[in-house]
Amino acid sequence: MTENIPLPITGAAICNALGPTRSVVRDALYEGRSGLTPCTVDVPFATYAGAIDVPLPALPTELEPWTTRTAQIALMLVEELGESLQRMQSRWRPDRIAVVLGTSTAGADRTEAAYQHYIKNDELPEGYDLWRHHTYGAILHVVCSLIGATGPSWVISTACTSSAKPFASAQRMIAADMVDAVLVGGIDTLCAMTLRGFHSLGALSSEPTRPFSAERKGISIGEGGAFVLVERPGTTHRADSGDGGAEKDAIAWLDGVGESSDAYHISAPHPKGEGAVLAMQRALDQAGCAAGEIDHINAHGTGTTHNDSAEANAIFSLFGDRVPVVSTKAYTGHTLGGAGATEAVIAMIALDEGWIPPALGVEPVDPKVPIQIEASRVETPIRRVLSNSFAFGGNNISLLLRRA
Amino acid sequence: MSEIPTAITGVGVFMPRMVGVDAFMSQTWSDEDATPNAELLDRRSRRRTSVLTRAMADVCAQAFAESAHDPSTIGAVFGSALGEAGTMIGLLEQMWRLYEPPSPMAFATSVHNAASGVVSIGTKNRGFTTSIGADFDTPAMALIEARAWALTHREPVLVVCADEPAPAKLVGDNHEWGFVAAAITLAPHAVDGLPALGHLQIGTADVERSPLQDAEARNPVAGILDLIYAIRSGRSGRVALDRGRGHGWTVDLRAAP
Repeated sequence: MTENIPLPITGAAICNALGPTRSVVRDALYEGRSGLTPCTVDVPFATYAGAIDVPLPALPTELEPWTTRTAQIALMLVEELGESLQRMQSRWRPDRIAVVLGTSTAGADRTEAAYQHYIKNDELPEGYDLWRHHTYGAILHVVCSLIGATGPSWVISTACTSSAKPFASAQRMIAADMVDAVLVGGIDTLCAMTLRGFHSLGALSSEPTRPFSAERKGISIGEGGAFVLVERPGTTHRADSGDGGAEKDAIAWLDGVGESSDAYHISAPHPKGEGAVLAMQRALDQAGCAAGEIDHINAHGTGTTHNDSAEANAIFSLFGDRVPVVSTKAYTGHTLGGAGATEAVIAMIALDEGWIPPALGVEPVDPKVPIQIEASRVETPIRRVLSNSFAFGGNNISLLLRRA
Repeated sequence: MSEIPTAITGVGVFMPRMVGVDAFMSQTWSDEDATPNAELLDRRSRRRTSVLTRAMADVCAQAFAESAHDPSTIGAVFGSALGEAGTMIGLLEQMWRLYEPPSPMAFATSVHNAASGVVSIGTKNRGFTTSIGADFDTPAMALIEARAWALTHREPVLVVCADEPAPAKLVGDNHEWGFVAAAITLAPHAVDGLPALGHLQIGTADVERSPLQDAEARNPVAGILDLIYAIRSGRSGRVALDRGRGHGWTVDLRAAP
């Protein structure tokens, strides 16, 4: 097990169907307002999706050739990090700052359009470049250039856990003294392939998703993501920073991470949620925390019967029905590779403000779901929260965050 | 970056005309393409997964056989620049040329972590596994992620890097490359009698590269083969982890005494 070194989280930015900034997203959650709307992507069935409906910024001139929706969302997130990013940059050398992002789609939306053009014209559209518009290196180049980081940088692509796992990578690299600070997070954008793929699997809802409801019909896909700054506590490496360390700027603490595999099925969860139990237990163990010290769980909660049932069983086996649980995918849609970081930031809002957003559309709650889910906002002091993410491949992760 | 060395305990190599580390070291090219048999996977996964995933399973099996680590508990880092790009192209063809709904199984196995998932299923491993990409720096970043795991959890870890030939329709003629899959297992401490990996940094290499043919040398994960070649050749020094299109990451290699 990793040595328990709680890490200060010193900045967070979020952008999704609820809005382009943390404060707008916060307001929508507080008011119980969903961002899901009828899907406008060209697919031959009706569904709802969480689309970002604000204009996206243009990349700086030198990065224009890398323009994709993913890169533009990344720019919005970097801009929102603002002063917290500047403080991090002032504390650490560029080669001691890493970037670890998650995505499942990368630039798939642009590649889809390029491939449609290719089928019609037998050539790719002018300007399309796989290395600038699709691959993981493209988004890494954009983000590293925007923040001036020259340390290690990679993308994790483990489907729906993609942007939660960078928190674990950051924790390990800092503990192993490889780097001092890491920009973690991830982004996914809407594309036809994921919508059609989940429809083929029979998992896509024709109405806004209703996780844990007896009347749920499946997943709603969303787009967006979040960036979070994780730093080493204590002395900075830059004597000229005039800075007492990152902990004074903490907006939350990363106390524990638990990762596991189901070792069961490529696209279905273990029915009893055994892999999910392992992930949550490992996060508790690493944080040195008892189950009774968790005040809230942001569930993976995709809105499919199998996933909701497996996760509810897993949560009940560790926490009983004591802990209030919500799936915020009813607000944002399932942002897939962006979901883990998105929900971690939403969990930080809950920690900071002491309320849990209402579980939209949950009533009537599935009677087979034995955990505590509230259809109205819960106002309660929250000291520690778990944020769960589970994925194809039986890939699981649970983040344990603590109030600053 | 951390100076603590990790021991290299096993390696594996698969290229369609060069299967196994011995063939790679002696540069023995076969006249015919081999297909990976993926005996590490359960029968269903073997039938449903791509050649890329099955080749990754085969190099895992080679590295496990040499290292004797327990496949059911070892941590695993899978690296690929493009991942299941071939499966993605198949889905796009279904959608845009054939106007068919995508195959559910092809969709489920189109994720970048398909190999990571089915290897965990095949080995009944409920531990840590991840799947990463960083274009031509994929081998270097996979080694950093793996070393960080080994050093902090004090447990062995598997590193697998592989890329199938890039879809020519998307990359153009000058970026085509040959199929490469390779694996390395690391133990968290220096172990007497075994070579060791140390510091990773951006710098200049001083260990010569492996004698790869052009097609394989263009593969984004070719650097992992250069590292395996240096390990098996008993070299010490700084090994380049890319062939000129990455950021110049190198790793310090210390030969076994």
